[in-house]
Amino acid sequence: MASPVSFLRTTSFRFLAWYAAIFGISVVMLFATVYWITLAALDRQRSESVQRELQVLSDLYSERDVDSVMRAIQLRVIDLRPPRRYYLLQDASGTRIAGNLPPMKPVEGDVELPVSALFPDRVGKSEDPLDAYPVAALGLRLENGGFLLVGENQYRTIKAREAIIRAFSWGILITVLLAAGGGMVLGVGFLRRIEEINRTTRSIMEGDLSQRVPARGGGTEMDQLALNLNAMLDRIQMLMESVKRVSDDIAHDLRTPLSRLRHQLESAQSKAAPGEDAVIEQSIAELDSILATFSALLRIAQIETGARKAAFSCVDLAQIVKSVADAYVPVAEDRDQKLEVMIGRPSSIHGDRELLTQLVANLIENPIHHCPAGVKITVGLRRDADVTVFYVADTGPGIPASERDKVFRRFYRLEASRTTPGNGLGLSIVKAIADLHGASVELSDNQPGLKVAIRFPATAERGAAKK
Amino acid sequence: MKILLIEDDTQTSDYVANGMRERGHVVDHAANGRDGLFRATGGGFDIMIIDRMLPAVDGLTIVKTMRGAGIKTPVLLLTTLGGINDRVEGLEAGADDYLTKPFAFAELLARVNALSRRPPIVDESTVLRAGDLELNRLKRTVTRGGKRIELQPQEFRLLEYLMHNAGQVVTRTMLLENVWEFHFDPRTSVVETHISRLRAKVDRDFDEELIHTVRGSGYSLGITG
Repeated sequence: MASPVSFLRTTSFRFLAWYAAIFGISVVMLFATVYWITLAALDRQRSESVQRELQVLSDLYSERDVDSVMRAIQLRVIDLRPPRRYYLLQDASGTRIAGNLPPMKPVEGDVELPVSALFPDRVGKSEDPLDAYPVAALGLRLENGGFLLVGENQYRTIKAREAIIRAFSWGILITVLLAAGGGMVLGVGFLRRIEEINRTTRSIMEGDLSQRVPARGGGTEMDQLALNLNAMLDRIQMLMESVKRVSDDIAHDLRTPLSRLRHQLESAQSKAAPGEDAVIEQSIAELDSILATFSALLRIAQIETGARKAAFSCVDLAQIVKSVADAYVPVAEDRDQKLEVMIGRPSSIHGDRELLTQLVANLIENPIHHCPAGVKITVGLRRDADVTVFYVADTGPGIPASERDKVFRRFYRLEASRTTPGNGLGLSIVKAIADLHGASVELSDNQPGLKVAIRFPATAERGAAKK
Repeated sequence: MKILLIEDDTQTSDYVANGMRERGHVVDHAANGRDGLFRATGGGFDIMIIDRMLPAVDGLTIVKTMRGAGIKTPVLLLTTLGGINDRVEGLEAGADDYLTKPFAFAELLARVNALSRRPPIVDESTVLRAGDLELNRLKRTVTRGGKRIELQPQEFRLLEYLMHNAGQVVTRTMLLENVWEFHFDPRTSVVETHISRLRAKVDRDFDEELIHTVRGSGYSLGITG
């Protein structure tokens, strides 16, 4: 399955990240609004209730006297439930007449009284949880020089604030978890579909054109994509089959007349006068070369169908290379070329003996054919970890880097080799055989010369064995 | 030699039949598979040349049916150009050799001759002889006139094949297929080079030449005339 890194790179992840960010910002803004509105309402409520209380007491003072106020306060401080009220009545000298607060310097208007200022002796010792909260109060100077103060504990506001923060913290946490989790689930599902498409395209590239992308139905965009890909593949397969049918038809239709032509030339040759003999022989040779090209093309086409895979068996590549190279050592010697064979241990691969023999022979023939006298050709087989590498290196003129990809094209011939006989199909056949075996063909600079390496992967052997 | 030819293409069948008759053989021709199968199972032939693609009953079926009935007559199968699996399928069905169309008559003749003289039970005699040339398959030694000749393994195999078919023409393609297992046409002169090496060792120091080039056909080993 996909690694975390590849997940982070997916389009779905990016989309979800943006979505989560925007959603998160909205949630935070909502939180801020609720927070401020709630706290402001609570504050206003408290200050209004304190103001009303102060008004009641100050009315009592102005309509009656200080004693009435004192009695009213004494009654009120007996029973104080949360949110607790605080009262203070002082005379002109600053002495407390009534209330549950210590005497203080008279202050007109809003006062916030911290716990430490109110009850310095109770800080950190009190059992009463309310003592931990500051008091918001309203002070009023009386006409007789006295001072009246009414306050209320901020417990409720602070508790409300804490509750709101806690609720929203959980809310944001759950939002983020849901977004991330949902994103992962959606993203992984999306990735799996993509991986299915990739797997299908890979096996199609390996030659199995019958593969199709699985569609789940439901008409999602992914299904649309899968259906479109499948429709495209159907079309390609149909076109390829018709191309194949055309080439098979050509092969079939031309085979018979060419056979007849050859037979006629042969009968003519047997009856010909000594002078005409050579011309007919040349014509037969030309015809054979046309037939060889034709046969090579059909062979490539048939190798490419992959039908040959059914007959794959375990073959010793080392033995094939040894035996083919031995066949060419004297051929190279006759051309004053040196053919050196370097083979290690036996090297079994899963493949087709006949085709592998042709691959090895074609690659060994290339330098013998195209290189001048005096070159050294090295043929070898080695094992790199799981990979079996067959290589042919020469010290000849080599191939320019820009031309290396082109040599696999059918009928492609390098400028330098146009004058030598050959049909330009040798490397196309090599490529077709290598592809059939899941092997790669690499051309590189041998400094000087050309090095061709065929790498047979261990995994492809097993993969091929299963099919 | 009595030959059964099963071939639907009249041009090819005329060409083969006329060629064989000129060389003194009796040719019985069947133009379709059903007729061919009927005659093949009737027996009485020294060799059969059967086209793979036939109307009614195809060549492979004829060979299978015939072999199933216990008829061991050698069969040469004619296959289509480039039919990559044809050879294996043909041999598995019970054919003894195959030839790809179009072919040179010399090639067909060489193969028919090689097949017709192939003993029913494979000849595995230890020592092959041709004149004063002796090849010991077990010891893997070669002597001529009692004198030891050292051969490379592939030269030994080449000589062994030539001696096994001594007196017969063997074509270049037959050598490629049987000595080197090359089922394709190499661009370089593999056969010619090895033959010339072999000649240098077997013939050069002796009065009589044993390895002969048959123009337009191939090679043959043996004492002339």
